[in-house]
Amino acid sequence: MENVIELQNVNKAFKGFELKDLSISVKKGFVTGFIGGNGVGKSTTIKLILNLLQPDSGDVSVFGLNYKKHEKEIKQRIGFVFDHNVFYEHITLSDMKKIIKPAYKNWDDGIFHQYVNLFELPLKKSIKTFSKGMMMKASLAFALSHRAELIIMDEPTSGLDPIFRRELLDILHDIMQDGEKTIFFSTHITTDLDRIADYITFIHNGQHIFTKEHYKIEEDYAIVKGETNLLDRDTEQEFIGIRKSNHGFEALTTNKQRTANLFGDMVILEKPTLEDIMLYTKKGNDNYVKSYS
Amino acid sequence: MLNLIRKDIVLQKNSLLILLPALFIFLFLERSVIWVGVIFCFAIIMQSFALDEKPSANLLMNSLPYTRKEIVSSKYIGACVFTFLVLLTIVIGNLIIHREITQWDQLLFIASVIVVFISFAFPFSYLFKSQYLMMACGVLFVLYVVLVNTFIPDLGDRLRAGVQTILSFDNSLLYAGGILAAVLLYMFSWMLSIRIYSRKVF
Repeated sequence: MENVIELQNVNKAFKGFELKDLSISVKKGFVTGFIGGNGVGKSTTIKLILNLLQPDSGDVSVFGLNYKKHEKEIKQRIGFVFDHNVFYEHITLSDMKKIIKPAYKNWDDGIFHQYVNLFELPLKKSIKTFSKGMMMKASLAFALSHRAELIIMDEPTSGLDPIFRRELLDILHDIMQDGEKTIFFSTHITTDLDRIADYITFIHNGQHIFTKEHYKIEEDYAIVKGETNLLDRDTEQEFIGIRKSNHGFEALTTNKQRTANLFGDMVILEKPTLEDIMLYTKKGNDNYVKSYS
Repeated sequence: MLNLIRKDIVLQKNSLLILLPALFIFLFLERSVIWVGVIFCFAIIMQSFALDEKPSANLLMNSLPYTRKEIVSSKYIGACVFTFLVLLTIVIGNLIIHREITQWDQLLFIASVIVVFISFAFPFSYLFKSQYLMMACGVLFVLYVVLVNTFIPDLGDRLRAGVQTILSFDNSLLYAGGILAAVLLYMFSWMLSIRIYSRKVF
């Protein structure tokens, strides 16, 4: 399967934070959700993909092209949405269109006006009067009007009301129908991904934890619940993160089958949510923090 | 690249609509064309620069299919366009108000001052921020005053005399040399700004 985005052994260090040997690939024609807590490197990764930052080492390629030689060509084919307003605030949407339109060869006024009507956006009001939801709709209209093959979004659903979040996901779902487009978006509202994501990429503390097909996660991962006396130094190795309480323990396993074979009927296995996986991975990294509830 | 310059003009549309007529009024009141021209050029150019300095504007410009080289270059060419607009307004204004044709050496002098000023202001602003520019000017002025008072008490007179001498030369070769020096300075500043901007982190 063709990869649209490929990061290979990318390192990028800032003061107090670094991406370590990050290798990620995003498959063409699918929606990939990009998850991780706050400050683990999601935005940095997205900026690397958009060439807003250059890696200290490693390679970034988009559509199989690198930015050194094909910067404009790549950007022509990308639509971007950021979590905050990047448009000039003192001008109107129609003026903003005048600025963005000439940048793209494949700009289609018809599509733009179709979205503007669909989203009920005012063309003649200055952008600073827009609500958060309207800003997001405007960003989306711009991102979709030049027939981008790859749409990259940084936290597009944060700060939106539940109704518009649903609408947004429906729109993204519609866009995906022709099978030619690829969406890569970061979020920490993991329930959004249940509706739409085909793949999940998870990073933690600047490191790639996994990229899996969404349905596979439920097949591999499980939340394990059982009596605390089942835990010893060996069995604890089976789990990524463990939460112990007076009533027993709860832990996350990456190998459901193996855990089932090992503990048999002594434990209960439950479907994990993406949030569970994020939480336990963080706990695991923080060295099995105990909690007494 | 043309798109980026057009973008600056679209963004400055309202300011231009206010500033250029204001320039007319100034011409009507004041005869010192050079001073007014320099101030107006600089105000418009730096306002346009400051607008694109916000992190969000940088994010937008760099996500659109433009290279960083083009983004910087558009500012340098745009500065020339804005200067041209102001000079054109001055020429037309003088023609209408005073029924006289503006001396070309005055226009050239304004353009040269702007070129030299921008050559320092742009790299400085890319490196730091344009809002520190006034501060830097203040510091430089204080340094100048201190230097003058302690070391060369008659520096001001000497400079004035120097400028007078240069202006009194009616030598086209000298003019050509001056223009060439200003253009070279501008080019150097342009390259320097590209270097600074391409290393920026947003």
